Amino acid sequence: MEYQIKEIKKGINLHLIHNEKFKTNLISIFLTTPLNRENVTQNAILPAILRRGSKNMPTQDAISKELEEMYGASFNCGIDKRGDNQVLKFYIESINDMFLPEGEENMLSKTIEKLLEIVFNPVTENDGFNKTYLEQEKNNLKQAIEGKIDNKARYAIDRCTEEMYKNHPFALYKYGYVEDLENIDAQELYKYYQELLKTCKIDIFVSGIVENSIYKSIVESKEMENLKERTPQFSNMTLNVIPQNNGQEVQESMDVTQGKLILGLNVKLENEDMQYDALIYNSILGGSANSKLFQNVREKASLAYVASSSYLKSKNNIFINCGIEIENYEKALQIVKEQLEEMKQGKFTENDIEVAKKGIIDAIQTIDDEQDSEIMYFFGQEFCNNKLNIEQYLERIKKVTKEAVLKIAQKVEIDTIYFLKN
Amino acid sequence: MQIIENLKVKEKLYIEKLENGLTVMIIPKKGMQKKYIIWGTNYGSNESSFIVPGETEITTVPDGVAHFLEHKMFEQENGRNSLDVLTEIGVSANAYTTNDHTAYLYECTDHFYEALDEFMDYVQHPYFTDENVEKEKGIIGQEIMMYDDYPDWKVYLNALQTMYHKFPIRLDTVGTIETISKINKDILYKCYNTFYNPSNMAMVISGDFEPQEILEEVKKRLINTKANGEIKRIYPEEPDGIVKEKVTQKMEVSRPLYTIGIKDKPADTSNSNSKEEIVKKHIAIEILLHLIFGESSNLYKTLYDKGTISSAPSMDYEFSRGYAHILISGQSNDPEEVYKSLKEEIAKIKESGINEADFTRMRKTLYGDYIKEYNDVTDIARMFLADYFKGINSFDYIEQIMTVNTEYAMQILKEVFDENKMVLSTITM
Repeated sequence: MEYQIKEIKKGINLHLIHNEKFKTNLISIFLTTPLNRENVTQNAILPAILRRGSKNMPTQDAISKELEEMYGASFNCGIDKRGDNQVLKFYIESINDMFLPEGEENMLSKTIEKLLEIVFNPVTENDGFNKTYLEQEKNNLKQAIEGKIDNKARYAIDRCTEEMYKNHPFALYKYGYVEDLENIDAQELYKYYQELLKTCKIDIFVSGIVENSIYKSIVESKEMENLKERTPQFSNMTLNVIPQNNGQEVQESMDVTQGKLILGLNVKLENEDMQYDALIYNSILGGSANSKLFQNVREKASLAYVASSSYLKSKNNIFINCGIEIENYEKALQIVKEQLEEMKQGKFTENDIEVAKKGIIDAIQTIDDEQDSEIMYFFGQEFCNNKLNIEQYLERIKKVTKEAVLKIAQKVEIDTIYFLKN
Repeated sequence: MQIIENLKVKEKLYIEKLENGLTVMIIPKKGMQKKYIIWGTNYGSNESSFIVPGETEITTVPDGVAHFLEHKMFEQENGRNSLDVLTEIGVSANAYTTNDHTAYLYECTDHFYEALDEFMDYVQHPYFTDENVEKEKGIIGQEIMMYDDYPDWKVYLNALQTMYHKFPIRLDTVGTIETISKINKDILYKCYNTFYNPSNMAMVISGDFEPQEILEEVKKRLINTKANGEIKRIYPEEPDGIVKEKVTQKMEVSRPLYTIGIKDKPADTSNSNSKEEIVKKHIAIEILLHLIFGESSNLYKTLYDKGTISSAPSMDYEFSRGYAHILISGQSNDPEEVYKSLKEEIAKIKESGINEADFTRMRKTLYGDYIKEYNDVTDIARMFLADYFKGINSFDYIEQIMTVNTEYAMQILKEVFDENKMVLSTITM
């Protein structure tokens, strides 16, 4: 694997990941902009409207047919929250020329061309987006927003986050708010889109068998020529802004069979480098089948099928997640708290550290086995003040000590305890 | 070892049937860091009545045993849990149960052989006690309840229940709180001894391996077991028709979910051409589904523009021993409208025929989809295992796709997409 990053213009980066072991090319474009209440819904609707048609492929039907002809090249788009940023994501995956039944077709260039066209060259009317498309997509987005309740486990984590980050951008729902939809109009949204393209951080990733000519063809594309340099507004990883809810308990009722217990924890780091120690801490707490949570909540007490934790690096929070019988709330919470306490008292062994390291090292070593995880790794580095390549990341994990993990344990506090019951 | 090479996707399959009856398949992937091994038994939740080789009486066990057994396999006599041991070694281990097979697996970059010792040891050494069986009932109980809160799982299961009168595919893989309460260690041992015989199992390995070397390593770790005779599987007789056309359930969802099912006749496995036929039929059905309801179809466009749907449905042809059906699932404000329009569209294509250009485009798309399945060692190994238990070599899809033409597709359309065998399952607020 060879990774190169090239600045096309200030604020617009091209990331080239050359790797010969895949059957596919994966191209992605990420537009990153600060998360805020004013624009969250407009940002959320943009991918949906852009996928409806471009200048040369003015209908969704035309796009679909074009991609189907390219041996089922698949387009995907979505919205993500990354720290205090909102990310608009666009992807196309296509087959490498080597595996086409009828030989060379220059699939990679074609794929790049299509994606640039969809993201940067939308179909318009009267200086705005197509009205019909917009109305349909408003309706679809409304449903996506309302669909938040459909996955109860996910919903519980979202709700816990909202309670932790009240009045803070990170509480915002990535798909936005129904009440904003009414006021979005085709001309205004188009104006907003043009403005966004002038200010947002743009990252273009090309993964596959990448030849040198690719750089040139992208830089010289009309889409890139139309974009101007910018000093993008986006927020880097920060150690500050930590929720201060001191263990508040929030309970809500819904039509569920199983209770979902979520604990939102703050991890008060002194510097960015400590995040790697926090990763190991999380792994011992609830990151694997050997973890304290899995062993004690599930295996010993038989209270849950799911009992785990995950570390959200961009906000320095850990979320503990247990699916339990509703009447076992107190019992489960007690056991979870005991595990946090044990971590604090250093009741974990060198062996626990070794096991955690092995698991994480394994995951790091497979980053370059998947195109999407490669892309996400390098994209993630864009937000770090201290960028590490995969090799450095590996070395850093190997250096984590028991003292360092114990130090993390002292910095962990329960911020919010959320319970979804019936 | 037999070597099967596929020149289109440029991969090789090494396959060997060992003396004890175990089939081992190796798909080397040069340059991949990740190594993946999966060991499966041709035994899933559908097998609750059978005749043990050498016996004459039928054995019937409670629903959910295959899955329960999967959970309990990790427990070892030395008091350790193999899942923990494997995690300590530094590999990521798991297991799962489906309707027709159960599989154990792990993936890693380092420590592969160290893990292989533990992995092959635990799958070959069950250790069930009254106490450890009882303890598991609490955990599986929570797993069952977790699924109860998944509307997409419910809408799927309800569709199967309204399609099938008796065939066990209609039951939840994990069983129910009531059926698992009846499971004890004797039942688990009986099922283990019957179905975990090497002759009923297959192993698939994918990663940067030298095939002969890894095969020897596997052989070294096998305990001495003789191949079993044939297990007679008893399935209830399933009528051709459906139970009831429509079923609906209320749950707290933002918008109705639907699953449309089309019940098909299971493949006749007595015919020697049947393997080839199953693959061809499967390909034709996938092309047809995309023609009827894919993102460039008229039906999709019409329903999307009306706001009835907002994304393409997921569409699958599921089949194995004794059952076969199509499932089309998604979310819609008006599932009845989706159902009605789908029926009309099918009738229309039956009437007007298949457009040659559309067909060719869809076949290209499907060809690309098949190629994409060979990026990841996990996907490759799982696919080869699941297909193997259906009597299929996964390469056959790539080999055969170009032989499927409009004429054949038309024949399948008429045979399989039968209006009288369609059901609609919905979840509403």
